[in-house]
Amino acid sequence: MASRKSPSRKSPARPAKRAGGKAPVARKASSARKASPKRGAPRATTSALTLPTLHESTTSSGLKVIAAERGPLPMVSVRLVIRAGSATDPDGKHGLADFTARLLRRGTRRLNAQAIDEAVEFVGASLGVGVSEDTLSVALTTPSEHFVPMLGILGQLVREPTFPQSEVDDARERELAQFANDLDDPSIIADRAMVRALWGNHPYGHDVGGSSKTVKTFTRDDVVRFHQERMGPKVSMLIVVGAMDPQRVAAAAEDAFADWTGGPDAPVAIPAPERIALGGRVIIVDKPDQTQSQVRLGGPGMRMGHEDYFPATAMNIALGGGFTSRLMNEIRVNRGLTYGVSSWFDSMNAAGVFALSTFTKTESTREIIDVALAEIGGVREKGLKPRELADAQSYLAGLYPLRTETNESIAGSIAEARLHGLGDDWVERFRDRLRAVTPKEVVAAAKKYCFAQAPAVVVLGKADVVKKQLKGLGPITVVPASEYE
Amino acid sequence: MSKASPSKVPTRVADPALESLFDVHEATLPNGLQVRLLANHQAPVVSLYTVFQVGSRNERPGITGISHLFEHMMFNGAKKYGPKMFDKTLESNGGRSNAYTSTDLTVYYDDFSADALETVLDLESDRMRSLRISQETLTSEREVVKEERRVRVDNDIFGIMDEELGTLVYKAHPYRWPVIGWMADIEAIRREDCQDYFRTYYAPNNAVLYIVGAIDPKKTLALVRKYYGSIPKGPAPAAVLNSEPEQKGERRAEVRHPAQSPALMLGFRGPAARDDDTFVLDVIQYVLTKGEGSRLIRSLVYEQKLAVSLMLDWSWRIDPGTILFYLALKPDSDPKKVEAALYAELEKVAREGITERELQKAQNNLRSDHLRELATNSGRAHALGHYEALLGDWRRLLTLPSTYASITNDQVKAVAAKYFAPEHRSVVTLVPAPTEA
Repeated sequence: MASRKSPSRKSPARPAKRAGGKAPVARKASSARKASPKRGAPRATTSALTLPTLHESTTSSGLKVIAAERGPLPMVSVRLVIRAGSATDPDGKHGLADFTARLLRRGTRRLNAQAIDEAVEFVGASLGVGVSEDTLSVALTTPSEHFVPMLGILGQLVREPTFPQSEVDDARERELAQFANDLDDPSIIADRAMVRALWGNHPYGHDVGGSSKTVKTFTRDDVVRFHQERMGPKVSMLIVVGAMDPQRVAAAAEDAFADWTGGPDAPVAIPAPERIALGGRVIIVDKPDQTQSQVRLGGPGMRMGHEDYFPATAMNIALGGGFTSRLMNEIRVNRGLTYGVSSWFDSMNAAGVFALSTFTKTESTREIIDVALAEIGGVREKGLKPRELADAQSYLAGLYPLRTETNESIAGSIAEARLHGLGDDWVERFRDRLRAVTPKEVVAAAKKYCFAQAPAVVVLGKADVVKKQLKGLGPITVVPASEYE
Repeated sequence: MSKASPSKVPTRVADPALESLFDVHEATLPNGLQVRLLANHQAPVVSLYTVFQVGSRNERPGITGISHLFEHMMFNGAKKYGPKMFDKTLESNGGRSNAYTSTDLTVYYDDFSADALETVLDLESDRMRSLRISQETLTSEREVVKEERRVRVDNDIFGIMDEELGTLVYKAHPYRWPVIGWMADIEAIRREDCQDYFRTYYAPNNAVLYIVGAIDPKKTLALVRKYYGSIPKGPAPAAVLNSEPEQKGERRAEVRHPAQSPALMLGFRGPAARDDDTFVLDVIQYVLTKGEGSRLIRSLVYEQKLAVSLMLDWSWRIDPGTILFYLALKPDSDPKKVEAALYAELEKVAREGITERELQKAQNNLRSDHLRELATNSGRAHALGHYEALLGDWRRLLTLPSTYASITNDQVKAVAAKYFAPEHRSVVTLVPAPTEA
């Protein structure tokens, strides 16, 4: 699929559209959130996780390489992580990191777009780019026997992309059409409105892809400059997990990235924001044809690696995690108001938010907001029952090993730990740290994060019906959906 | 043991890399429950899939969507574990669970910490043995499903078009209606309908259990016997009749709905999963839309710049399924022009077939995707269930690469000509309508 949206780490309360006409209908949209599991009572034993050994090297150009050998499948997963995410987009050029990332594979000094596609896809490898607030990543999975040439192509993409003018122009046109079509997707627009309401003018405050207003202005020079100034070996790391000898990985990486130059010596520093931009305010995004409102609530959270991470994570499992969370129980099971509701901490390198996402028929928009706020308020006032905390710890600790099942997920964990300075024992110690959380720590985290101040509220739906319902939640602003194109 | 129906597929040879992953232990209990066990000790977790041979294909007008609504009811309490206790027990023991309903199957799956195995078998067998369907939970769950329908269909352009297309491609077969059902039918389903459904389709002889992960197969089978052995066998469900007549000309529909751009969705009725043409279509699908360098993406998105994105979905079904195309266009696109470009590409495959290199590329990618899908316990359990339910034997997943390797260009041409014939087309066009304020 040639599609526009970078995979995001957000967890929409909406079923991922499965390819296919008569897609299976699941009981609950699976969320992109991290889940993990384990037992109620404290347990003496924990089955150890078998993690591959990390082998580190550095190429002559200064790129850090981390390799982990792992079978049994004859496949290798590669991830090149560059600290050039959407937070580093220049002013007035929001979306440039994402735009640049997409153009990397549209031509290099030695290969045009068709030749790149053919070389990669012929052997059954796959290449994808993803941009988040903090990073621009290029991901590759390949059969082991083609690893070396595939890594060579990855090296070309970042070392010597040519950004042909015609490719830049076509990409811009496609992107603008996609922005128009996004207006027809209620959950995308609600998420976009929420990002703006939470972060305002902060570098995290725009959609990763930017907007039609900014993308319209992109020139080839912008892209060339972004690549030259933001992407380079000193702010990147290469992670390779799979059926490949670490020594061969180091040698292949040297060959592929030896002449890579450019980029900064250190990552761009992103400041922490003062406050939630539109805390206590209500934004109604008007889409008159809807029979259902998309609802988002959000307040302050924490950066990755913050000391509150474990108490807050355990708390949120009980509040808005699995099928037995308080929100799910009250809103879906007891009242039948929705199909999906979840809350989560979205933590980035500089700061984070705590957010809730759900949807309901137009008529019950106010009710679902009131019930959600009451549930979150209940945890803020009283914390969790000891049993609830124990269950949440068991759930997350028991499921945690699922994150070690694939080469991709292991590469992802390594990248996360390195990016945010979590320590290389992050995965191994995760379950013990989670189980060590006490009810008292949960109370403190709840007081801090469960909307101690009124949250930002975003509702996308039929404004003329919804507006009357939302009186008393804060000052209301109604905007047309086109505001988010 | 169900056996694959004998068919004239060329020699099927097991792929050694796949064979090494699938040391499967099989058993059938006296009550007809079939069990497949596979050990994998890479992580201390297990996945359990329960596949029931029932989906929207088994429904009738008036209760469309009951398979899916009933799937929701399976989580709402049984004799030993009452309302809310299934999820509560599972999650507090380090597990998670979900389920999905398709046209042909209803599939329940759990991922859990290896030490919760016995608890999970107790939970799962309890609901297969003695589900309790109360009026209260049905009333509440019905509202949940209506919200699900609103989010997937009523407020989703793809969903709206897809529903329209189903009624064009099928005149008589139950594939005509959406898996989630018509809104009025969801409203009308009664508790008695659900109880009938449970008795008819949820007997052990209509189910297969797949358990993959950090298990000892022998001990696990003993536990399965202990928990499931005494569930009584049920009558064999009635066969589904396929009365679909032959299509004798193009079928078209328009959907007028507020939207920024027109869009196109097309369907061609394909073969049943067990028909050999299925695998040829898999290859054609890969050549047309797998990857940025595939024919349609390169031609329609990059060279002719007609589409923003496009998708081809060829999902195997028990009865002849749909080869589905979806094209997202630009605000000023002319759908007629896009259609013409697409038909030109399809005709080209029927006329000239594909190159040797394209065939090899498709085979390479089919194998890579196959391997990626098998990276997790859940993926392996799902694959076992999928191939067994649709092809009659899970072993077919071992020989699939050799099946693809035996496909010739003549077969590709013949299959493309047969299924993409203009008189077999069904086309839904989205016409942007102004928003009624």
